[in-house]
Amino acid sequence: TSSYIPLSDRGQWAGITPIPQNDGPNPLVAIMYSPEYRDAMDFFRAVSASGEKSERALELTETIIRMNPAHYTVWQYRMAILLELGKDLEVELELMNEFARENLKSYQVWHHRLLLMTHISPASPQAEIDYIHTSLLPDPKNYHTWAYLHWLFSHFHTLGRITPKMWQEEQRWCDEMLRVDGRNNSAWGWRWFLTIARPEAGGLADQGRGEIIYTLKQIHTIPHNVSAWNYLRGLLKHFSHPFSPILPALHPYLAHPDLKSLIPSPPSSSLSNLPAARDPLPGDTPLPISHAVEFLADTLVEMGRLGDAGLIFAKLGELDRMRAGYWEYRRRACAD
Amino acid sequence: MATSGQRTFKRNAHINYFLRCLGALPASAEGHDSNRITIAYFCLSGLDLLGALEKKTTEEQRKGWVEWIWSLQAPEGGFRGSTYMTTSNPETSPGHLPSTYTALLCLAILRAPLDRLNRPGLKAFLRRCQAPDGSFSPLPRTSSSHTTDFQSDLRMTYCAVVIADILKDVSAFDRSSCISFMNQCRTWEGAYASRAGVTEAQGGTTYCAVASLSLLQPDTPNREDTIRWSTQRQLGGFQGRPGKLQDVCYSFWIGAALGILGQPDLLDSTLNTAFLLSAQSPLGGFGKEPDDYPDPYHSYLALAALALTPDPDLDLKPLDARWNISRDTADWLREEIREQSLDT
Repeated sequence: TSSYIPLSDRGQWAGITPIPQNDGPNPLVAIMYSPEYRDAMDFFRAVSASGEKSERALELTETIIRMNPAHYTVWQYRMAILLELGKDLEVELELMNEFARENLKSYQVWHHRLLLMTHISPASPQAEIDYIHTSLLPDPKNYHTWAYLHWLFSHFHTLGRITPKMWQEEQRWCDEMLRVDGRNNSAWGWRWFLTIARPEAGGLADQGRGEIIYTLKQIHTIPHNVSAWNYLRGLLKHFSHPFSPILPALHPYLAHPDLKSLIPSPPSSSLSNLPAARDPLPGDTPLPISHAVEFLADTLVEMGRLGDAGLIFAKLGELDRMRAGYWEYRRRACAD
Repeated sequence: MATSGQRTFKRNAHINYFLRCLGALPASAEGHDSNRITIAYFCLSGLDLLGALEKKTTEEQRKGWVEWIWSLQAPEGGFRGSTYMTTSNPETSPGHLPSTYTALLCLAILRAPLDRLNRPGLKAFLRRCQAPDGSFSPLPRTSSSHTTDFQSDLRMTYCAVVIADILKDVSAFDRSSCISFMNQCRTWEGAYASRAGVTEAQGGTTYCAVASLSLLQPDTPNREDTIRWSTQRQLGGFQGRPGKLQDVCYSFWIGAALGILGQPDLLDSTLNTAFLLSAQSPLGGFGKEPDDYPDPYHSYLALAALALTPDPDLDLKPLDARWNISRDTADWLREEIREQSLDT
């Protein structure tokens, strides 16, 4: 550490009196600051107290956030300086890209990006969308990244800058994310946003039939995919669609002697042309699949066959022992 | 040494871990400079649950810490996260919402009389943190604040709702827009995402919504789907979302949510406890998973998760799952606030 030159020894900081931290005699969770951090913070406190918005202050904020990317006060002050000095915010955005490459992560980096995009307000956010897509490749389930993507589309849609073509492209990109990893729950959530939840979403026109078909195909590809099963249930609930017309498509996953007599015959309202399960089933598919058995139980509840539903919940207690408590809870609710 | 199943509960190691952290953290913890009070909360509440606070700290130490915490109270209300930005210019260091929540809890754990609490200031602070859409920002909003703050998520809502609950003051913020915002965080999965319209639910934000809603209204609507999603997250320990790895903190977020929803026993307690105990560090504390380096956040939440179900082998104090402190401390805090109200 002896090569570090204190700021007070550097010409550009002449004339400013640093403010040491006053931690009192009995601090909680004292941090053994490095000399660099302590020095920078002593000067930042002085800069902040005087309200100085200068180039040297800007440089100081970068020094600090590189040591502590969670320092929200310094980020806020940095933004104020950038705006006051009329700095090129696209250059700042590129700096944030560099931060990401150097793995300097925090809520604040994302919030700063959001503010930059709000101020820059490009005619098209396509470059930023592409950047976020790229950043998801090594880290495809990063919650902050997906939440930021949601903000990006929502905000620029409000400004009228997301074209129908851009929505289509995003849908295609999301499809590809799910093709690469059908278990990426964040991508399922994004699909929900694109197809069902956003204003003018296209998935509503056919009462969700297209989405139901897509989801069944995903289940047939990976029968244990909990995200796909949850998505199916989400769809049926959202569209107030009964379970029983869907059940026939799931019969192969219920193959077990104890279940056979409890599976209802397909109702006349069964949807035609639902995608069928693979024959043979993919890989080593141990049967029955508990998600399908749960679907059967909820179908029986929907049909008012509570006694049979109770028997199925009891069976689930054996099949899915980790959730034995939950299945017993469902079974008791049927009995009452 | 106490045992639970096959694993030993390293009680003394955890006590010493928290005491060490309370004293000092290395330079590598500079990232926590703005929220030292929250780290202090993890350590103090951890020691409280272990029943070790009075035995292992002196009254003089505790009084000294109480003074430090009072020095964090901002003139206009609320508490700062630490002394890092305190200067003679009050604008450099406003109160911070999550730090206010943890500062109040620390004062309660240390049994500090709350006569110095600036209650009108705190109430005004909460109102200034709330946005028109019902969400809360971590800092009081200024006229130049954007309506969207990436950090204005359910964690901030939870902090605000608990603070108002502690103060027993329903007028401290706009209740109906707060509830409306939370309902907009509910996803197709039946659990809760971080902000309105975000379409993936997560364990931590689900706890924040469930706890907050339970404090604001008598019945939680659509609880069955949330219960289902929550129990689905158990892998042994708990994951935060489908397809992710288990992490000790979710044993708390989801275990507590289930308890608040009235179904604390639906999870497999044996497997959950086994996972938690296997994440203990030989240095004391807990990492997020076995063989991971410990940190105060995971160390506290693992203990809080263990404290949700009474276990004589572990001998942890019962937890108030909504405020996330021991029931002893919650009772004391309720009484202290009541007494302070009678005096004003």
